[in-house]
Amino acid sequence: MLQFLQFATVRAAMALFTLLMVSLIVFTLMELVPGNCAERYLAFKNTQGSGISVADIEAEERRLGLDRPFLVRWGSWVGNVFLKGEFGDSCILRLNINDLLGDKFLISLGICLTALFLAYLIAIPVGIISASSNSALLNGSLRFVSYLGLAMPNFLLALIIMLVSTVVFGDSMTGLFSNEYRNADWSWARVGDFLSRAWLPVFILGWSATAFALQTVRALMLDEQAKLYVTAARARGLFGRRLLWRYPARHALGPIVNSLGFDLNRIFNELPIVALILTLTEAGALLLEALARSNDQQLAGAIIFLLTASIVAVNFITDIALALIDPRIRKSVMGGAA
Amino acid sequence: MSAPLIDVDNLTIRFRTDEGLITAVENVSFDIAPGEVLGLVGESGSGKSVTAKSLMRLNSGNAEYDDTSRITLNVPGEPSLDVLSLKRERDMKPVRGGAISMIFQEPMASFAPAITIGDQMVEQLLLHTDMNKKRAKEISIEMLDRVGIKEPAKRFDQYAFEFSGGMRQRAMIAMALSTKPKLLIADEPTTALDVTIQAQIIDLMKDLVSEFGMGILFITHDLGVIAQTADRVAVMYLGRIMETGAVRDVIRRPAHPYTQGLINALPKLDDLDAPLTPIPGDIPSPLERPSGCVFHTRNPNHVPGSRYEREVPPMTEVSPGHFAALFPEDVPALQEPVR
Repeated sequence: MLQFLQFATVRAAMALFTLLMVSLIVFTLMELVPGNCAERYLAFKNTQGSGISVADIEAEERRLGLDRPFLVRWGSWVGNVFLKGEFGDSCILRLNINDLLGDKFLISLGICLTALFLAYLIAIPVGIISASSNSALLNGSLRFVSYLGLAMPNFLLALIIMLVSTVVFGDSMTGLFSNEYRNADWSWARVGDFLSRAWLPVFILGWSATAFALQTVRALMLDEQAKLYVTAARARGLFGRRLLWRYPARHALGPIVNSLGFDLNRIFNELPIVALILTLTEAGALLLEALARSNDQQLAGAIIFLLTASIVAVNFITDIALALIDPRIRKSVMGGAA
Repeated sequence: MSAPLIDVDNLTIRFRTDEGLITAVENVSFDIAPGEVLGLVGESGSGKSVTAKSLMRLNSGNAEYDDTSRITLNVPGEPSLDVLSLKRERDMKPVRGGAISMIFQEPMASFAPAITIGDQMVEQLLLHTDMNKKRAKEISIEMLDRVGIKEPAKRFDQYAFEFSGGMRQRAMIAMALSTKPKLLIADEPTTALDVTIQAQIIDLMKDLVSEFGMGILFITHDLGVIAQTADRVAVMYLGRIMETGAVRDVIRRPAHPYTQGLINALPKLDDLDAPLTPIPGDIPSPLERPSGCVFHTRNPNHVPGSRYEREVPPMTEVSPGHFAALFPEDVPALQEPVR
């Protein structure tokens, strides 16, 4: 137990360090964009018709603290992010990024995590059973549904569902809230309304994620089943479900858990396209907007940092889960101290 | 004489593959008496592992056993068991870890990596005996101690990756013998080990055989190991037995050109300058099984057009208990005048 706490602490420290490094990289990338925040803002103002001078820019730089050295600026950014959870103001929109993002990031993350969770909830048992079954019908139909999920672009699926629901229900199912709740405060009714609509992006993202996870689980299981220790266990008289779950399934679980963090990133990357079609207001779309259109590096940096932080968090959780599953990992991190 | 422990009669195994039926083992017969060690020698692909696995019905689902094949297990005091007639996995328990145990070539890979050695040992004991968990743990620790593992109680709770190669094979032997099987199948148990460890493991196995009085099927490609361990030996090539007999007879006076080739191919420590003489050619693809004697394509003494190309030679007795797959006219001893 003590050993385990020690392991978890080490991993948490490593995750924190990773986050710090990520923040440095994100901050550097934000700074690498030509021009600084003051120049971009005033250039933006310029396009709106107000004239600017060098003195204006310098005054703005001083106001934003851009005249301080790089590391100091990074330090204050990181400090605000880590200690207060504040990302500062958006460069162009002049609004607080936290207000701007609002619930959007949490909603996006929620949709992605739910899709991920459901995908693995389905893929793990189905993949394990499929790998150990000789039924051509089961494996054939699973393969059909999987390949359909993998091959059909998410936007096409979203369009088809929109079309069908418009024709059949008279509601295009777009947006995350129906009109009456769009700007309402959070309440149980609003949560209900949200859930009645959020299942759609979850379903669309979840299908391909499930298909992907299913193929991974199946391949890993076939791999494990061919290993000598499974034959050795059969040679000791084990068979059937007991053999399946205790030997190949249990040992395939490690790599499966390992792929979670990677998959979260993949799903998040697919979200904006689905969100665009379903006209959801979510963070992925906002990120694209900030990066591609308004050149709002502060906002983009905040979203990228939040996304990376989520992946680091998922990886931390999977690391802990892996250690619970696999003694080799637990003991390798503990090393000689164990 | 009582019935042999295991009697393999006319074993033929084919595998259904996309390329068609592949014959892995053909008309193989042998038996093992209690307390006897039979060495099964052959190159890779000779069918020795497939033969061994068939005793425990461990071959993959696409294996087909010929209708005339019989494997009979005779455990003293129990009715004999027709192994190939077993249909359900639950009925195979006696030949899997009960009356027959198996140890494998790679001791690392044969333990599940994320389950402690102890758990795997206890699991087998609970499966095959009616002892409780506590007793099973005691027996397991006793067995670990018996095979020479220091601090067995501590080792019991460890994982395979915390053991050295030799230790793992000792633990494997401890596990295999914990249920007191009547027959132990050892599939190249020392091949993956250092030579010094090899000797220790072989000594350990010899001790345990005499102590437990069980039969061993010892599979190896190493004639040197066979010479040290086995009472009798069967030499396999392409799924057929080429020669069988007492170890001394076969190694000192090999009758079959394949056995002679195997012995000549061994490096000689007393004459380091002597060139190694490999058996010419490669093992033919299983899809192109030679007709007649399967070895004729690689036999350096083969006379083109001889009946070995068309007819399968019978097992001819060379000397008492020593048989070779040769036509009688080619058995040297039979051609000499009886003195």
